[in-house]
Amino acid sequence: MSNGSRKIMLEDLLRLKRAERPPPEFWGQFDAQMRAKQLAAIVVRRPWWDGLSRVFSRSHRVILPAGAVAALGLVWVGVHRLSPSAPPAVPVLVQPALGASVATAPALPIMTVVAQVDARPAKVEEGGDRLETEVVIPASQPSSPSHLTKVPDAAQVASLYGSPFAEGMAATLADFRALDADLAKRSAFGAERDMETVSGRQPMSEPLTRVDPAQERLQRLLAPALPAYTYSNAARTFTSERQRDRASDDRMYESMDRPSSGGMSLEFRF
Amino acid sequence: MNASKAIEKTLVASPERKLEADADLAIVRQVQGGDVAAFDRLIGKYRERVFGIIYNLTSNREDAADLAQDAFIKAFQSIHRFQGQSSFFTWLYRIAINATLSHLRKNRLRSFFSLESIAETDTASRELLDALTDTTGAARDAFVRELQEKLNEAMQKLSINHRTVVTLFEIDGLSHQEIADVMDCSVGTVRSRLHYAKQLLQAELEPYLRS
Repeated sequence: MSNGSRKIMLEDLLRLKRAERPPPEFWGQFDAQMRAKQLAAIVVRRPWWDGLSRVFSRSHRVILPAGAVAALGLVWVGVHRLSPSAPPAVPVLVQPALGASVATAPALPIMTVVAQVDARPAKVEEGGDRLETEVVIPASQPSSPSHLTKVPDAAQVASLYGSPFAEGMAATLADFRALDADLAKRSAFGAERDMETVSGRQPMSEPLTRVDPAQERLQRLLAPALPAYTYSNAARTFTSERQRDRASDDRMYESMDRPSSGGMSLEFRF
Repeated sequence: MNASKAIEKTLVASPERKLEADADLAIVRQVQGGDVAAFDRLIGKYRERVFGIIYNLTSNREDAADLAQDAFIKAFQSIHRFQGQSSFFTWLYRIAINATLSHLRKNRLRSFFSLESIAETDTASRELLDALTDTTGAARDAFVRELQEKLNEAMQKLSINHRTVVTLFEIDGLSHQEIADVMDCSVGTVRSRLHYAKQLLQAELEPYLRS
């Protein structure tokens, strides 16, 4: 029922809003949402790198074995990659070719020196009597007999360098060549070997296996009693010894000329 | 008359507010000391008032609930910065008002209102409604709803600052000084805004007023 005599002010109308209240169930929902937001606010957000550190901390037991396996793998790969099919280039000291200008050459790369090995010496040490030439020959390059056949004559060496050491070297070389013409031809610097065919060579075998110890002992015991027989036998022995020497020399040069001889280097010093 | 009434209200309210502020400060010290659960007492104590002021500003229940919760969360997160220079009530209201004003400025064009039922258990409200209408039942409910809509529309026609001043003073019962603290302005500004806002509301709600 309306009370028409009562004054109604603006403040009365606004105070009516004070009586506006949500239903009781609203506060239950409000408290639940409030609790959830409060918990979310309490939880501290971790930085992005914290996840990474947790991952690493969990996998710390695996890291060490994995690292070891990786290191072994790297070593294995490195060994297989770096080990070449052909042996690396090795320095070889040879006598300079005759007619080549003896001068100090600038330091050249290895392959450059190899390409010019026939033309001139790569390096000549100056300031002394000693002559040392260093030429690098790659092992993968097919062996050319030229660096062996171009051995200077003793007189040429002596006249070229004129030093006492060179003269001594020339004398040694002359004695070596005079010792056995055939041996000198076929051994160390023999030029005929260049023309030798493979079919003409004797089959490779161990020289000692050709020696029969029992027969040799018998020959040695019967030598005083049977001079005639000994003569012929001695001649045959000498022949067999020469054959053994030849075979031994052939075997030595065979190993020197073999292209993949495992990086053998020959060093000649005078 | 209004000015003297407001001053009297402020003077009368001061001792009570002082005791209330002391009690709140003690709870805040507990929270600052690590007793997080003590903050629930502050929430339970002020949730309806915070919700009410935000609701009267936004006229939307869901927005009011979210903003009230956010205000409590912000207060909880920065409780260690509370020095006690003002009452916790004033500090919490400032947070809520600032959050609400920011929300209103972002959503100026949105005008979705929700109406809460008027609790007629309040004697003053029941007497006011009896004075406004002699109907009962559905007709009375329709009249009350129409009055609420008119009030909301009139409030929404005010600017944010004027609406805030009216809401804090007339609905929530804050003093001029407390409003000035909350809104970070002078008491004179509060009185000026309050006077202007009332003039506008009086013009809007003229059909319901009887002098």
